[in-house]
Amino acid sequence: METVKIKNNSHSVIVEALTKKFGGFTAVNNISFRVSGGEIFGFLGANGAGKTTAIRMLCGLLMPTSGQATVAGFDVYTEYEKIKMNIGYMSQKFSLYEDLTVRENIEFYGGVYGLSRKEIREKTDYLMDYLKLWDHADDLTKSLPLGWKQRMALSTALLHDPDIIFLDEPTSGVDPVSRRNFWLLIYELAEQGKTIFVTTHFMDEAEYCHRLSIMRDGLIVELDKPGVLKKKYNAENMQDVFMKIVRGGKGQD
Amino acid sequence: MQRIFYLMKKEFKQILREKLFISLIFLAPLGQIIILGFAITTDVRNLNLAVVDADHSSMSARLIESLSATESFNLVCILDSEKEALREMDNGKIKLAVVIPKQFERDLKNGRQPQVQAIIDGVDGNSAGIAMAYIGQISRKLQQEWMQKTGVSNALNQDLRLVEIETRMWYNPSLESVNNIVPGIIAVLVMMITAFLTGMTIVREKENGTLEQLMVTPITSMELMLGKVLPLVIVGFILFNVGILGAGIVFGLWMKGNLFSLYLMAIVFMLSTLGLGIFASTVSQTQQQAMFIAWFFMIVALLLSGFFIPIENMPDWVQALTYLNPVRYFMVIIREIYLKGTELLYLWKEALAMLAFGLATIISAAVRFQKRMS
Ligand SMILES: Nc1ncnc2c1ncn2[C@@H]1O[C@H](COP(=O)(O)OP(=O)(O)OP(=O)(O)O)[C@@H](O)[C@H]1O
Ligand SMILES: [Mg+2]
Repeated sequence: METVKIKNNSHSVIVEALTKKFGGFTAVNNISFRVSGGEIFGFLGANGAGKTTAIRMLCGLLMPTSGQATVAGFDVYTEYEKIKMNIGYMSQKFSLYEDLTVRENIEFYGGVYGLSRKEIREKTDYLMDYLKLWDHADDLTKSLPLGWKQRMALSTALLHDPDIIFLDEPTSGVDPVSRRNFWLLIYELAEQGKTIFVTTHFMDEAEYCHRLSIMRDGLIVELDKPGVLKKKYNAENMQDVFMKIVRGGKGQD
Repeated sequence: MQRIFYLMKKEFKQILREKLFISLIFLAPLGQIIILGFAITTDVRNLNLAVVDADHSSMSARLIESLSATESFNLVCILDSEKEALREMDNGKIKLAVVIPKQFERDLKNGRQPQVQAIIDGVDGNSAGIAMAYIGQISRKLQQEWMQKTGVSNALNQDLRLVEIETRMWYNPSLESVNNIVPGIIAVLVMMITAFLTGMTIVREKENGTLEQLMVTPITSMELMLGKVLPLVIVGFILFNVGILGAGIVFGLWMKGNLFSLYLMAIVFMLSTLGLGIFASTVSQTQQQAMFIAWFFMIVALLLSGFFIPIENMPDWVQALTYLNPVRYFMVIIREIYLKGTELLYLWKEALAMLAFGLATIISAAVRFQKRMS
C-alpha cells in the first residue's frame, strides 16, 4: 500500500511536543508528527494508549497541557473555532441521533453547519444515492445495521466539505464486508485530497494507511510506512509488528 | 439564528418521539391535579387576626382573650371599626377579623343572640376553612361557660345559640381547599416538567455522545443552550394551559384574573426552572443524576413556597429563607391572579423579586454551562 501517492504535500496537521495530563496522569506524552494533505494517517495503540485524547485535542475539544499543534493552519489553543469549520470528526461512540430518521439527521447537521435549504436538499439526495439508502431514508437511524450507520455518520461529518477528517475507531463492531466498504469510502476521500486521521484496532486496516503511528502509554513509539515497519521488525504483517511493539512496553494489553 | 432553528426543530421531534417525555408532559399534570387536589389538607397556625371590639365589655374582653390564647391565631391588633379591619385585610396584614357588636354583653345576658362576625380572607381556602372551625370551637366553649354563669338552665342549652358565627367570605366563597391547591399544582407542574426535561435532554446528549459531535460543529454554547431551552419554554407553556384546562374541567375552577398577565408571569417563572435544569445538566453525567438533582432542589423550593405549608406557620428563620425562593413568589402571584383576579399592577413586588431570582438563576447556570462546554 505504501506505493499509493500522497496527493498534496502541504502539512494539514503539525504537532510538536503535544502533552495532555489529567491530574498527575499523563495520557498523551510529548508527541510530535506532521500529516500531509491527502494522507491517510493511522493511529494504533492498545486500549488507553492515548489515541482518543490526542484526537480530541486536535479537534478543539480538549485543551492541551503543553506543546504546540496546528490543524489546517490554525492553532489548537486559540483558533479552535476556525478548526471546527475545517474538520470532520467521527467520535469513537456512534453519535448520530438514533431517534431521528436518516433524512432528519442529515438535515439537522446540514443546518448546524450553515448549509442553505437548497444545499441540504441536494446533499440529502446525493448521500441517499451514494449510500444507497433511499429505501431507508425515513427510517429511524436506530433501525439501521451498524455498518450503515457508520457510513452515514461519516457522510454527515462531511456535509460541510472539510479538508481534514478525524475518525476514531470508525469500524469497531462492524462486520468485515462493511469494514471494507467503509475503507473504500476513506480511499475515495483521500483521492479527493482530504487528509484522513484514523484510529483502529484492526491490523488489516492498519495496512491500508499511508503512514502509521503506534502509541504506547501516551508516547509515540513508532511512526512510519507499514512496509518499513514490517521490514524493521522482520514481521510478516502488521499484527506481528504490533505485538512486538506492545510487548516491549508496560501497556495494559 | 439558523442553527437555533434547526436545533429547536430537532428537539421537538425528539421530545415527541420519546414516550417518557410525552407521559411526563401530559399524564403527570392530570394525575397530579387530581390526586393532590383531592388529598391535601393543611393545619393552621399563627394566622394573623384582628378583633373589632365595639362593646368594650368584660365578656368581649374574655372572647378576645380566648381567641389570642390559641396557637392558631396571632392577635395583631384590636380595632374600632369593621372598615379598618377590611383595610388591614386588603393590605395583607391580617387574614382574619372577628367583629364583636355593640351591646354584645347585654344581649347575651338577656338571652338574645348577638351576632359575632368573622371575616376571613378566603384566598387561602385551606387555612380559612380550618380557622372557621377553630373559631366555632372557641365560641362554643365560651357559650357553655357563660350559660352556667348566667344561670340559664342546662335543659335550654341545646336550643340557645348565644353566639352566632357569621362568616363573610372574601374571594373564595366555596372555601374548598381545592381552590387554593389547584393553582399551586399548576405552578408545580410547570416547574417539574421544565426543570426535568431541560436537565434530561441536555444530559441525554452527553450520554449518547451526540454532544461531543455537536461540539465539533461551529455551534456556540449560547446557541446550543437556546436551542435546547426554547422548545422547553414552549412545552412548559402548553403544559401550563393543559393545567388551566384541567383545573377548569375537573374542579370547575376557572381563572378570575387576566390570562395574559398570568402567561407573562409564567414565563418569568420559567427562567428559574429552566436555570435549575441547566444547572443540573452541568453537574450530572446521567439522566437519572440530572433528574435527582433537579428533584432535590424542587422539593426544597416547594417546601419553602407556601404550597404545602402556609408560610405564616413556619419558624421565623425559615420564613426569612423563603424570600430567597422564586417559587414562593409565583405561588402568591398565581393564587392572586387565579382566585382573586388581582391585577398585575398590585403584584409588582412579587413579580420583580421573581424576575430578579429568575435572571440570577438562569444567568449563573448559563455561565456554568458555557464554562463546561469550552
Ligand atoms: N477526561 C479524562 N480524565 C481522566 N483520565 C482520562 C480522561 N480521558 C481519558 N483519560 C485516560 O487517559 C488514557 C488514554 O485514554 P484514551 O481514551 O485517549 O485512550 P485510547 O487510546 O483512545 O483507548 P481506546 O482504544 O480504549 O479508545 C486512559 O487511561 C484514560 O483512562
Ligand atoms: Mg479511544
